[in-house]
Amino acid sequence: MNTKKEIVSLRNVIKNYGHGKVITKALQGIELNILEGDFSVMMGPSGSGKSTLLNIIGGLDKATSGEVNFNGKDFNTLSNKALSIIRRNHIGFVFQNYNLLPVLTAYENAEYVLMLQEIPISQRKEKVMHFFQEMGLEGLEHRFPRELSGGQQQRVAIARAVVSDPLLVLADEITANVDSETAQSLLELMETLNKNNKTTFLFSTHDPAVIKFAKKVIVLKDGKITNEQISSENIEKYTKR
Amino acid sequence: MKSKLLMIIKIGWLSIWRNKRRTLISLFSILIGTGIPTFFVCIAWGFYAGLVDDVARLMAGHVTYEHVNYRNSPSNDLWVDDIQVINKSLNNNDEVLLTKQIVNLQGVAHTAKGSVGISLMGIEPSKEITISYLPESIVEGEYLSEGDGRWVIVGSKLAESLNVNVGKKFVFTTNDIKGELIEELFRVKGIFKTGSKEIDGHFVQSDIDIARMVAGLSSNDVSQLGIIVKNPDTHERFLQEMQKTLAKKNGVFLSWQQIMPDVATTIRMDRTAISSIMVLLVVIVLFTMFSTILMSTLERRREFASLLAIGTQPIELKLQIFIETILFGLIACPLGSLLGVGIAKWTEGYDMMDVVGGKAEDMTVGGFGMDTIITPLFSIPLILQISIFFFLAVQLLSILPIYLISRISITDVLRST
Ligand SMILES: Nc1ncnc2c1ncn2[C@@H]1O[C@H](COP(=O)(O)OP(=O)(O)OP(=O)(O)O)[C@@H](O)[C@H]1O
Ligand SMILES: [Mg+2]
Repeated sequence: MNTKKEIVSLRNVIKNYGHGKVITKALQGIELNILEGDFSVMMGPSGSGKSTLLNIIGGLDKATSGEVNFNGKDFNTLSNKALSIIRRNHIGFVFQNYNLLPVLTAYENAEYVLMLQEIPISQRKEKVMHFFQEMGLEGLEHRFPRELSGGQQQRVAIARAVVSDPLLVLADEITANVDSETAQSLLELMETLNKNNKTTFLFSTHDPAVIKFAKKVIVLKDGKITNEQISSENIEKYTKR
Repeated sequence: MKSKLLMIIKIGWLSIWRNKRRTLISLFSILIGTGIPTFFVCIAWGFYAGLVDDVARLMAGHVTYEHVNYRNSPSNDLWVDDIQVINKSLNNNDEVLLTKQIVNLQGVAHTAKGSVGISLMGIEPSKEITISYLPESIVEGEYLSEGDGRWVIVGSKLAESLNVNVGKKFVFTTNDIKGELIEELFRVKGIFKTGSKEIDGHFVQSDIDIARMVAGLSSNDVSQLGIIVKNPDTHERFLQEMQKTLAKKNGVFLSWQQIMPDVATTIRMDRTAISSIMVLLVVIVLFTMFSTILMSTLERRREFASLLAIGTQPIELKLQIFIETILFGLIACPLGSLLGVGIAKWTEGYDMMDVVGGKAEDMTVGGFGMDTIITPLFSIPLILQISIFFFLAVQLLSILPIYLISRISITDVLRST
């Protein structure tokens, strides 16, 4: 019996790109549930539709057909503005290229979403400092992104994604630009966040190291979720870039 | 709400300084764009205010009271009577500095050398000394004084064409108010030189008593009553009031623009010229800034896309862009005004002829010579108008990036590395 809250539920999601004769079938009937507290990793060869799926779950893109349900809301029926507000309040994003705002300090970058949410300054400070401590970012608050290493920038980006207590954090290839040691520590960090704060994570990756941390592994192939198990024999297929 | 707005302003402010060189070029172009017309306007308005005042004092005031038909044909038999009552009440008015009673006679001056059409203006010499620049323009002999009778002053060009010197005589032929032909003998007391062909060649001044006598007017009659007001800027309103309260049936109050349409037209044309310069400069400024704004938007597409992804509302991003152009304007437009005012201030007292070259005699407006010494006029409403005009024009530049943002596809931009 599973009493955990369902955050995302996808039913027969199809996504086609292009029109006319050249149609790319990026997703072909995805069925997926993400529950509160999940720490799921999505793997699949390049072009299998991982980013597409993350974008649809995150409300950045619309499915061609099928049901996309987020926290009880049907994404297909929502306006762009409503989707934007859901992203602001309930979804954290971490990108491969960090995408921090270069003119703001580490602290201000993390504070950004709380500002958008109009959280009072005292609470903002408390939250940001809490995560900075938890993530080993103390002392770096006043540095600008260009003054931080890739790993440090990615930590700030993770802090920005989790600081507003989102229901779900989506992370697309977030270890692709850092060395394996840094990747390891970023994953440990998120594992801790998952444990301590019950933050729900959904990753996409090519990095075999990520799989060790996964509570659930989702394997995508040609836009479909397969039952194929990842083993030492076939892992190469999923990690080749 | 407040801290969000402050954050957006802060990001906007920091963003414009990301490429300092580019920003400085933009700021500089707005600054120059605002500065040049401000400078021109301060100088030109200074000249014109000076000119109008000089001419008003020399001729018939900022506001003139005369016969209703005098404008159509300024003939000697169109005068206004019962002038002392009006004169007294004008002199009791707080807005009036001085009034001058004038008798004008059109006629011909003769000597053995030849004949020249002239305009004789009878005035009160003791008053004229305090208001007009003519007494200071005397180059030979002396200016008039009360009871001078047939002694008159003439312009240098007229003295030449009649071949008269100080102390010499000429005959003046005119009509009196009954239409009778009159011949009078005048003697030259002084010769003036103003630099204006019209005035130096065809203008004669005498004491008002002799002019009245020649014309057959009483001491209660004048051709014109000139009114010098304390604040020339409000003369139109003053004129309306006087027309309502003081004008007789046959009299009308007119502004200097109506009395001297040539001067007014030249000034109006100059304003149009300055407006055209301004429009041209705006186009240049917008042109230089356009590529800057476009580049800085395109460069930040990725940043905008990720901000939109994490829940920034498009309107908040557009606001940020808008604030960036507002900041450009807020920095550069006031500095541009200051620059224009500063340069105008710096040129104060220089003779324009030394700068542009040429002869002062050539500088005439509607037949009147101009004082070529630069005396800028700093009209705050005008300076603000120019500044605000440029400020608003620069705001137009935010339309393009705002449009680009509204068309951004978050997933496409984030996908491209
Ligand atoms: N905007 C688009 N227009 C057309 N085709 C697209 C677009 N975005 C994705 N695709 C196609 O959809 C398929 C899935 O792409 P997606 O980026 O989701 O794959 P991925 O699993 O994330 O790959 P990678 O591991 O290389 O990031 C690919 O065939 C891709 O070429
Ligand atoms: Mg991808």
